[in-house]
Amino acid sequence: MRHALALFCALCALWPCGGLLAQEEPPVPYFQSAAFNAPIPAGWQDQSRAGIAQFYQAAAQATIRTRIVPAGDVADAVEQDLQAWLGSPVGSPVYQGKVNLADGTWRSLVYQIGDDTTASVMARPNETGIIVISFVEAHPAAKIIMLTIAQAEQNDAQTEMTAALQTFKISGRADLSAPQTLTLSSGEWLLQSSAAAAAMGRALGNDSYIALAEGGAESLPELADAYHSSLLGFYITPDTSTFLWLGLAASFGILGILLFSFVWRRRGLQKELVLIQTLTQEAD
Amino acid sequence: MDAALQMQPAPTPRLLRILTLVTALGFAAALFLGLFVAGADSQQGPIQRIFYIHMPAFFGAFTAFGATVIGGAVYLWRRDERWDKIALAGVEVGLAFALINLATGAIWARPIWNTWWTWDPRLTSAAIMVLTYAAYLMLRAGIEDPRRQRSLMSVYGIFAFVSVLTTLFIIRIVPETIHPVIVGPSPQNAQGSFEATRGVAMALVPSLIVWTIFMPLTLIWHRCRLENRMEAVKRLKVQALSE
Repeated sequence: MRHALALFCALCALWPCGGLLAQEEPPVPYFQSAAFNAPIPAGWQDQSRAGIAQFYQAAAQATIRTRIVPAGDVADAVEQDLQAWLGSPVGSPVYQGKVNLADGTWRSLVYQIGDDTTASVMARPNETGIIVISFVEAHPAAKIIMLTIAQAEQNDAQTEMTAALQTFKISGRADLSAPQTLTLSSGEWLLQSSAAAAAMGRALGNDSYIALAEGGAESLPELADAYHSSLLGFYITPDTSTFLWLGLAASFGILGILLFSFVWRRRGLQKELVLIQTLTQEAD
Repeated sequence: MDAALQMQPAPTPRLLRILTLVTALGFAAALFLGLFVAGADSQQGPIQRIFYIHMPAFFGAFTAFGATVIGGAVYLWRRDERWDKIALAGVEVGLAFALINLATGAIWARPIWNTWWTWDPRLTSAAIMVLTYAAYLMLRAGIEDPRRQRSLMSVYGIFAFVSVLTTLFIIRIVPETIHPVIVGPSPQNAQGSFEATRGVAMALVPSLIVWTIFMPLTLIWHRCRLENRMEAVKRLKVQALSE
């Protein structure tokens, strides 16, 4: 009887174990730290170090960099970070806007640094500082801009692309092709391109993600896909340790009650037994 | 004084002592693996580690309620009271495990689903399972005639197992669930799922073995011994009153 029960239990336990060992590792590589997690774009050179996720694409001289800057103000934090990293003053942003995403209100900022370098930044405050996700492009023959725009009214991605092209006065914008759909790993985009310029747009929720290129148009889809994946894939590990302790306390509490009930009932039986014995002795 | 009334507790069998020791050590080791050795989940944070108790606790309940089915079926076949004791012990132990499963699930859901409870198919069936077995204990306490009590509760214990199987398989049948499936692909709308990597399996497999085999077996055995003692004292009472 005991053997049959043990065999039954063993089969129950081993049944899910077989399936578990057959699982595979997660496919997307991540930069992971205590402060935040950021996806590593495929094919980009990983230049990350402690507390800074940094990935470089040599052909476009583009860098995607994520870090948390200990500062009080978003614009100050971005300027401090870019200045310390690039080694030159960044000046005031040439564009700034606000977007409300699921994890908070972000600032979208664009800086023109010298003649060749353009920095597109998404930043928002959290408990430990300012999260700064930067896309910096330094190719002398190209100017690449990444924007996140809160949609006005019922604007679609196409309308926002046209508006952004005019705002940044992208040369060659009049020669762009009709929009076509482009499927990338980050999702479906609209693409308008010519030999000299390109514009990409994607509507997601109430926001539009826009990428503009003046020169170096052919590399825009890869760069936009990588930066967009970084924005969407970025996350902070939540501190859920309180709930873990609560769960452990509940588990130990329930097991403790079960074991205590065994002991309590056994002690009760012992008392009853003594009482019966006493009564029987008195009767004798 | 009657010799029969000088009842001493039966000594604990050597096998049960060893089993209790192995279970206690195994429980501590499994807990250590889950809390300190398994890798941290970067998306869920530390609460993911409760999974190393949550899932094994369900399988522990499965084993204990399975013992109730076996105990009930064999009792109905042979009318041997020992099997009815196993069935009763299975319900008590299984209910504790099922409550641990339900409580840890609700505590996990609060930060991950942003709610303590939702009427998801699996959560609903797990709650029904707990209520079904709680009703077993209440119903059993309400039946006076011992023979009738044993027969009726054996049948009840066998049929109650349907709620366990429903809880186990419902996420494979109903696609609307948000409950993650760790073994095999999760449904599209699963919330808070994670990959069962080798690191997860290394902590989960020992935990499953301890919670599914050793803990229910040890606790059921101890509970059966307690039931034996309760019955012996009851007999002594009757004997003392009749003298």
